Amino acid sequence: MKVKALKKTANELKIEVEGVGHTLCNLLQKRLLEDAHVESAGYDVPHPLASNAIIYVRTKGRMKAEEVLQSAVEKIRETNKEFGKELQKVLKKA
Amino acid sequence: MEIEVLEKDEKNMRLLIRGTNVPHVNALRRIIMTEVPCMAVDEIVMLENSSILQDEIVAHRLGLIPLKTDLDSYNLPEECPCKSEFGCNLCRVTLTLDVEAKEGTKTVYSDELKSENPEIAPVSGKIPLVKLAKEQKIRLEAYVRLGKGKNHAKWQPVSMCTYKYMPKIEISKNCDGCGKCVDICPRNVYAKTENKVEIRNLMACILCMDCVEACTQNPPPIEVSWEKDTFIFSLESSGALSPERILSEAIKILDKQLKEFESQIKVKKIEES
Ligand SMILES: [Zn+2]
Repeated sequence: MKVKALKKTANELKIEVEGVGHTLCNLLQKRLLEDAHVESAGYDVPHPLASNAIIYVRTKGRMKAEEVLQSAVEKIRETNKEFGKELQKVLKKA
Repeated sequence: MEIEVLEKDEKNMRLLIRGTNVPHVNALRRIIMTEVPCMAVDEIVMLENSSILQDEIVAHRLGLIPLKTDLDSYNLPEECPCKSEFGCNLCRVTLTLDVEAKEGTKTVYSDELKSENPEIAPVSGKIPLVKLAKEQKIRLEAYVRLGKGKNHAKWQPVSMCTYKYMPKIEISKNCDGCGKCVDICPRNVYAKTENKVEIRNLMACILCMDCVEACTQNPPPIEVSWEKDTFIFSLESSGALSPERILSEAIKILDKQLKEFESQIKVKKIEES
């Protein structure tokens, strides 16, 4: 997974990520849009066979784009871990 | 988040997941289909083949046989320390097939494949491979490797993996009990009792809305909708791995990808500052 910054201003970030597709980007976009600091977030998979994606985030200005991106990833990881724990708990009972 | 096991056996699992969203369950589904590894025949060496099927066809049929997978003792070829193209004991299992139709026509089944590791064997021994006429022979060696579904469907550990919203149906008191919805519903969600329509099997509903359209009343007393944060997640293993292992493996892979992405954006920040 390689990350390349395509555009970077005070409140904007556009990155190209290698080896990432809809799976991760869609999760990220959803989480970013739930964040009150985010003005706009989106992604594009330029070619269905090449596995790289372009992720774009723009904040309202209070926070930096990479900060909201990072907190979104953290939140997703938390939810995923919670899901894993819950699953183990339920499977043990069953 | 809340999970309820609706159904579970060696091959199938159906979960009711509350308090999550589409991107999350969809990510898990996509990872199960494309990233969770399992074993399949990857290469064969044909030593002798006098059957009427060409080598390629036999190879293709072998590739599609689901094999019991051991994820803990084997490595993906690209991650194996051996770095060899041919593979080593940690990233390759050899199957051999040596059959001849001695007396009349013979169907060769998957249980005739001899594995060097009895743990890695066809899920079912009753999969027909090829039919041999008298005196025809097949002798081959097949190399099994771990792989991912994104490279070839033979490496998909599931035959089916889907999710749907939890349906929500409300029938108001205005219903005249004509029973049109009972007859049209393709999943038999409703049942008619005397002058009333009852919901018999809510989870079977596929939200097709045929019942609403078939209703003679205006406005229709049936309201079909779905719970936005509740999903029915079903998965059917090919037999390679247990369904719970597949799902927990998917959770692990998703976390690994997120962790890598996180560390990558952190590195980016340090570089720029
Ligand atoms: Zn190896």
